[in-house]
Amino acid sequence: MMRPLRFALLLVMAAAPLAFGRPLEQPPLHPGESLSGRFVQERHLAGLSAPLVSQGRFLLAAGKGLVWHTEKPFDTTIVITPAGLLQLVDGREVQRLPAARAPFLARLYTMLGGALGGDWSAMAQDFSVERRSGEAGWTILLKPLAGDDPAAAPLQSIAVTGRAFVDSVEIRRPNGDWDHLRFSDEVRSSAPLAGADARLLETDAP
Amino acid sequence: MKRAALLWLVLVLAASAYLLIRLLGGVQFQTDFTALLPQEERDPGVQQAKDHVAQILNRRIVVLIGDRERATARAAGAALAEALRHSGLAASVTYTTNGDGLRKLGEIFFPYRFGLLTAGDRALLQQGRGEEIVARALASVYGPIGIADANLLRRDPFLLLPTYLSDLPRPLPRLTLDDGILSTQDGQEHYVLITAEVAGDPFALALAERFVARFDQAEQRLRAATPDLRVLRLGAVFYAEAGAAAATRETSAISIVSLLGTVLLVLAVFRALRPLGLTLLAIGTGVICAFAVSLWLFGTLHVAALLFGVSLIGIALDYCLQYLTARFNSEDGTPAQRLRRVLPGIVLGITTTLIGYLTLLLAPFPGLRQVAVFSAVGLVASFATVLLWLPALDQAAPLAHGEGLLRAAGWLWELWEEPRRRYRWPRQVLCAMLAVAALLGAWRLRAEDDIRRYEALSPPLKQQEAELRRLTGINGGTEFLLVRAADEESALETEESLLDRLQRGKAEGVLSGFQAIAQVIPSAARQRDNRALVRDRLIAPFLTSYDKRLGLSASAAPDVGDPGPLTLAAIPAGSPLALLRDLDLGTGSGGTMHVVLLYGVARLGALRQLAEAVPGVRLVDPVGDLTQLLGQYRRRAVLVLALSALLMLPVVGWRYGLRGGMRVALPPAIAVLATPPLVALAGVPFTFFNAMALVLVLSVGFDYAVFCRETDAAHRPATMLGVWLAMATTLLSFGLLGASRVFAVHAFGITLLVGTLLAFVAAPVAGTSTTNRSRLSKGG
Repeated sequence: MMRPLRFALLLVMAAAPLAFGRPLEQPPLHPGESLSGRFVQERHLAGLSAPLVSQGRFLLAAGKGLVWHTEKPFDTTIVITPAGLLQLVDGREVQRLPAARAPFLARLYTMLGGALGGDWSAMAQDFSVERRSGEAGWTILLKPLAGDDPAAAPLQSIAVTGRAFVDSVEIRRPNGDWDHLRFSDEVRSSAPLAGADARLLETDAP
Repeated sequence: MKRAALLWLVLVLAASAYLLIRLLGGVQFQTDFTALLPQEERDPGVQQAKDHVAQILNRRIVVLIGDRERATARAAGAALAEALRHSGLAASVTYTTNGDGLRKLGEIFFPYRFGLLTAGDRALLQQGRGEEIVARALASVYGPIGIADANLLRRDPFLLLPTYLSDLPRPLPRLTLDDGILSTQDGQEHYVLITAEVAGDPFALALAERFVARFDQAEQRLRAATPDLRVLRLGAVFYAEAGAAAATRETSAISIVSLLGTVLLVLAVFRALRPLGLTLLAIGTGVICAFAVSLWLFGTLHVAALLFGVSLIGIALDYCLQYLTARFNSEDGTPAQRLRRVLPGIVLGITTTLIGYLTLLLAPFPGLRQVAVFSAVGLVASFATVLLWLPALDQAAPLAHGEGLLRAAGWLWELWEEPRRRYRWPRQVLCAMLAVAALLGAWRLRAEDDIRRYEALSPPLKQQEAELRRLTGINGGTEFLLVRAADEESALETEESLLDRLQRGKAEGVLSGFQAIAQVIPSAARQRDNRALVRDRLIAPFLTSYDKRLGLSASAAPDVGDPGPLTLAAIPAGSPLALLRDLDLGTGSGGTMHVVLLYGVARLGALRQLAEAVPGVRLVDPVGDLTQLLGQYRRRAVLVLALSALLMLPVVGWRYGLRGGMRVALPPAIAVLATPPLVALAGVPFTFFNAMALVLVLSVGFDYAVFCRETDAAHRPATMLGVWLAMATTLLSFGLLGASRVFAVHAFGITLLVGTLLAFVAAPVAGTSTTNRSRLSKGG
């Protein structure tokens, strides 16, 4: 039911420039560093009158995890750490999924780490990777390799475009549904995490 | 006499032929320790559940394969799983769980989704907090992990089924499904898990040996390719094989030392080959007949019974040696004269010994019955050989070389009865020391019935088990809950009220987890109730606004109607949840029985209180029950001991009169009473097995005492030489059991070692007062 691998891709895409953008002078995140920014997500589901649009901010901390904070249309936060997944609505916990309960979460985390370190071999195991560069930036097209992985199957393709950082990601599914994500205001920082984000990422074993 | 000897030859040949046929046909020896224990039949349902759960637990094997490279570990896992599958010795090998199986499970559960609520969701709806479920669903739909499409949102708008499925109990808490394979990571090491079931009884030695050989072979092949590969194994079959291998090694070691020692001893004393041949003949016929008759009676033999049986050679030898040492009596020229001289002692000795052995039959332990029959048959057969064959085969003249030997043998007697009272002082010191030691020991004497002390498990396997348990979080014991109800539905309802209490117990640290059918398949009543909650407290108040918010075209509300209850039968055989079927003992005349498995039980008493408050629930603790049972039988064994002593008294009383009989009973009494405290001094607790060994000490003690009583001054040295030899051979066989690593065998052996020595040292006391000569020797 969960498709964390798809989510993994998303995480990886957020970090992609750090690996792909090396020619554009963006080295991978080092431990202690983090990348944050804003996102707008459009989810197009067949049968719905309008796309589900949400926006908010994200924080990706090397070696720690990801905070995906949706501000509109309502306040909800998803935190992914090596220990598992935590979901909050209006700051109140509504779901807690230890890594042990969510298949692939641990694996996902390894992939994330690999991508952060500029190691794309983890991705190449499951996807064909095609890369194009143009004046406007670069595009990476990922297609799942035919495999046994049930989590990879519902994906048709993932297209990532960006310049210094990722600008947008488009995820298409075989049933015609697709997501479009736009990223902006991306900031790379080596300052220690603080505030609510730090607390969420420090939480052990959801 | 000649005809009888021929008839005995025919019988021995028949027994040999039968034994040969059985052994060539491949006898399956039992190794399961519990097979030695009585089947308690007080509650057939509990017994059935115990057998069932033991079978589930005993057949299961768990293997963890680790390597620094994830791919290497996964490939090695696949290779081992394949090897197990191809061996034909494993019933179900589980390695990969394909997504297909999970999807199918989702499809099977889907029609029943509104009747399936997690405990948390059910509580929310009962408290009227449906909006929290709505908020969670919205967060999921909008969230970065897109798990829903419009189709799903129409049919399961609040994503109840995905929540239910992700909340299902997991017996292996620390493992995650990584790309279809249950895996875990420990530092740099990636581990994959393989589970399988042994196809057959893991305690059947032949199967266990073949299984482990196949497993070792596969593991070696993997290691040849990847030397650093870690392979951790857990399963009763591995312990059974290691235990049997150790027992076999021990048995052969004990037999070889025992046999060699006996052979050298006999050669040294008689300085001729023929006595050795005769001795071996007596032992051989005894063992062959005992083996054949036991196999014929029981169909199989327990290795422990065999182990004890091998040692019984020592006892059978006593009679043979009494006859052979009569050769040192110069006036008994012919074999017939010698036999006549020692026959009363031998007959009396064998009578008391048989009483001792046969009282073992009174303890309703299947293994001890085997030992009793094995030893009694072996004794009688050896006796028949001594009586019928030895005089015919032994035509030698009396031995003349034994002077020094005889004098040395007679020394023990002098210790007790020396005319000039030279040894009075050492004798008193010896007695005093013995008394002090026994008193000190009595202070340390304690009973021990915990069966876990009895199991000598292979240390390397134990280490692997500990590591495997740490990595996987497997912490199941042998305790479980038995749920009995009139039918399937009420069994599930009982489980539901039980689960609430267990959940509380888990929060209080009484136990760490549990596995029950009702965690996955709610009762029909619960499913109906859940559907009503979903309809009235979730769909009715929230669906319209929810759909509107998502922009989902207004459609008919999903059908919450009654699809009938989801039942256990709906779970297909190959699914990851198929293990649940093992928890169903089915419905019989006595109603339905379910088993609830327990993990990490920390406080058994509290758990019992918690669980048994629910009517129809019973905590079953096989290990605890066994401990209790062994305690009962330890006490019973002491009664058996007292009983056989009482039964022996009339025999010696009839022959020696009251006072003489008492004197004969004195050495065995000293041995039996002083041994337990002396053994306790060495730190060995008093167990059922010590008690059983005392039964044999009693027989041995009576043997020696009777031999001493029967002899007269002229023949005393020869008799004493026979007793010396008997004691030495007994120590060589029984005493060696004290070296065993198997706790029970060790306790048995060390008790016999001390007891035999005491009985031997005290034996002359039986003969010292010669004023009352026996009736038979006056007449004959």
